[in-house]
Amino acid sequence: MGRDSCEAPFISPATLRWLFLAVIVVVWELVPRLGLVPSVMLAPASEAMIAGFQDFGTFARALGITFGQLASALIFAYGIGALAGLLLGSVYFLRETLLPIVSSIYAVPLVIVYPLLTAWVGIGPESKVIFGALYGFFPMALSVAAGVQTVDRQYILAARSMGARTSQILFQIMLPASVPSILSGLRIGGAMTAIGVVVAEMMAATGGIGFLITQNRTMFNTAEVYFGIFLVLILTGLLDMFIRLMERCFTNWYPKET
Amino acid sequence: MAEVTDSMAHAPISSEKFDLSVEQVSLHFETPNGVLKAVDEVSFGVETGRFVGLVGPSGCGKSSLLLMMAGLQKATFGDIIVEGEPLTGPRPQDVGVIFQESSLLPWKTASENVEFPLALRGVDKAERKQLATDMLKLVGLSGFEDRHPFELSGGMKQRVSIARGFCQDPRILLMDEPFAALDEQTRMTLGDELLRIWEGHRKTVVFVTHSLTEAVYLCDDVIVMSAQPGRILERIEIDLPRPRTYETMATADFGRLRDRIWRLIRGSE
Amino acid sequence: MLSSSYRVLVQAGIVLILLGLWEAAVFSGLADTRTLPPPSEIAIHIVALLGDQDVLYNLWITSAQVGLAFLIVAPVGVAIGLLLGEHEYIGRAFRPFFYFLAGVPKSVFLPVFILTFGIGFTQKVAFGIFQAIFVLVISAIAAVGSVSPTLIKVARSYGANRWQLYSQIFLPAMMPVVIEGMRLGMIFNITGVVFAEMYVARAGIGHMIATWGMSFQMPQLFAGIFLTAFLSIAVNEVLRWYERRVDKWRK
Ligand SMILES: Nc1ncnc2c1ncn2[C@@H]1O[C@H](COP(=O)(O)OP(=O)(O)O)[C@@H](O)[C@H]1O
Ligand SMILES: [Mg+2]
Repeated sequence: MGRDSCEAPFISPATLRWLFLAVIVVVWELVPRLGLVPSVMLAPASEAMIAGFQDFGTFARALGITFGQLASALIFAYGIGALAGLLLGSVYFLRETLLPIVSSIYAVPLVIVYPLLTAWVGIGPESKVIFGALYGFFPMALSVAAGVQTVDRQYILAARSMGARTSQILFQIMLPASVPSILSGLRIGGAMTAIGVVVAEMMAATGGIGFLITQNRTMFNTAEVYFGIFLVLILTGLLDMFIRLMERCFTNWYPKET
Repeated sequence: MAEVTDSMAHAPISSEKFDLSVEQVSLHFETPNGVLKAVDEVSFGVETGRFVGLVGPSGCGKSSLLLMMAGLQKATFGDIIVEGEPLTGPRPQDVGVIFQESSLLPWKTASENVEFPLALRGVDKAERKQLATDMLKLVGLSGFEDRHPFELSGGMKQRVSIARGFCQDPRILLMDEPFAALDEQTRMTLGDELLRIWEGHRKTVVFVTHSLTEAVYLCDDVIVMSAQPGRILERIEIDLPRPRTYETMATADFGRLRDRIWRLIRGSE
Repeated sequence: MLSSSYRVLVQAGIVLILLGLWEAAVFSGLADTRTLPPPSEIAIHIVALLGDQDVLYNLWITSAQVGLAFLIVAPVGVAIGLLLGEHEYIGRAFRPFFYFLAGVPKSVFLPVFILTFGIGFTQKVAFGIFQAIFVLVISAIAAVGSVSPTLIKVARSYGANRWQLYSQIFLPAMMPVVIEGMRLGMIFNITGVVFAEMYVARAGIGHMIATWGMSFQMPQLFAGIFLTAFLSIAVNEVLRWYERRVDKWRK
């Protein structure tokens, strides 16, 4: 069995991982240079970086626009999502009837409603914020609803036997007990909101990083396209790190993962 | 010698004599297969300072009865009288519950968990912290005040749970199989400690367990129930002298009492 | 628990009330028919779309792309996941790549697929695969982790050979988690294909929706959105039903 035989042949898994990453970068550099694939498909790593940094002002502005839209969208996705999740998870009638409907809608490819949004509010920032918020709303609401539903009944019984009022149960039991699900809602919902904003920018926009990527693609500026993708990856990496940091702060009562 | 006070289970109850009296209490559940009589016309009283055990086969309504005595569940029929007044909801100054250790709030430290009933009542932070520290010391957990439950063993968590119950300081403490999740050695030790603390505080206790040895060892009276419908079969007085020790368990009286309970439970099935 | 027939009744009621309010809003003049056609008009258009050869052809293209992508990605994703979950060394080396990429917005890679594969059928299939593979791999890794070591020990103590171990213990024990991963993969796959069609394409339901949107053909747009939503929900519910059937023994 693989599980039992874990001695490393020659090098440690971590070393192998970094080696592999290095090989990818080298291949990314060499394959287009050696003409193995057309340069319109793949620009060498160095060229992508150079192109990006030469035009850094444009990229920075676009990133700024995206970031602003993302921040606004997150406020709506988190706020409305948390509220809806709280209601859907804790009100018996809603939990039994509306929650299954909401979780089914999660299966719909939401991109299809974007043309509707642009028809209603145009292709300006509003459509990006609304679309991003819509994308993030569902995972946020569903996570919070799941969290509220699965609060251990013993905690509530114990608190009631000690004389807790309804408000004390809500804020001292339900809320802290759902922190892990709320955080996972923040993480997944955050990532989805980012996807929503960038996708909206790619489809129809006048600014933002998604717009810039699309614009460069239509002009076959392959190097710039790759740099744009690179920036989005960095952006989502930072968002993820930020949320993980919050997770650390709020869940010190968890067994530490090893 | 063990004297069977069979009449007590059926005699009419005058609530003045008792801290807690259960009067003709029934609890019915509507199920797809009809009405389930989880508890059926149960009556008994518990005198002040007495340690009363509740045993019976699984599903005979022990937990349900306890929830009703805590005001957490409404009886379908009958009344629970505490301090001369029927219970209509939780009354934390009068009745407290010690659940299994899994009811500790995982996001609070040991000390915060013990303080929790006082915090709910609005007791000042410094004062309740002091009370919790004292109580944790009493259960042998000095130095563990700032640990979270996941950093404590099962036995330690149950100690915290006991400390929380005593910190709430109700006149009556109800316990629902508090040691069920612990290993044999830990539960013996904790049983001894519970007796020690109880002898210091002399609360009225109702203790649900499925361990007959534990019931005979800890209790003044053991109420034996039958399942479906949940009824009282008999109430047996355990007149073994206190303080009880490990040697008590080896006596012939102890064995006879435990046998008697076992026969009752087996006969009812 | 509400009984399931009662629940469905209430749910249908909720949906009908919402549609009724919508209809009423349009007829009372609260909303503009040009931007918000009433449900009755949308329903008529849905029926019309289903009779339209052109629409059916585009739906067929989309389904073919989604279906082919799924046929490829399901076995490949599960196989990679099993390898990464089962083989400690390879798993420790390469699992982090998949965890990282699963959390990244894969849509931004769409231009790369266009630059590489053009804008036709192949590109849509490739992008659908790319969207779905990470969640599949991660589910399969989780599935391996969900097999209880005790089960394996017991089977071994009974003298099960490697093949019996895989077919009798690993596979059935992992099935529920794997199926769930496939369902999630399907959601991502559909989203990927439809998005790629809306972005740049010559065919597919996504392409039609984008075109209706740009030319402000609101009734057709709404009908297309509802149709696509129904179909996606239907696919999801079928997979969920299968998931529950496989999952009966867990709880
Ligand atoms: N909420 C409920 N709905 C229906 N039946 C219940 C409910 N709670 C308990 N019961 C039933 O009531 C009976 C008594 O349960 P319980 O008090 O937990 O027994 P014990 O604690 O003695 O094992 C059992 O048959 C149980 O299945
Ligand atoms: Mg019980």
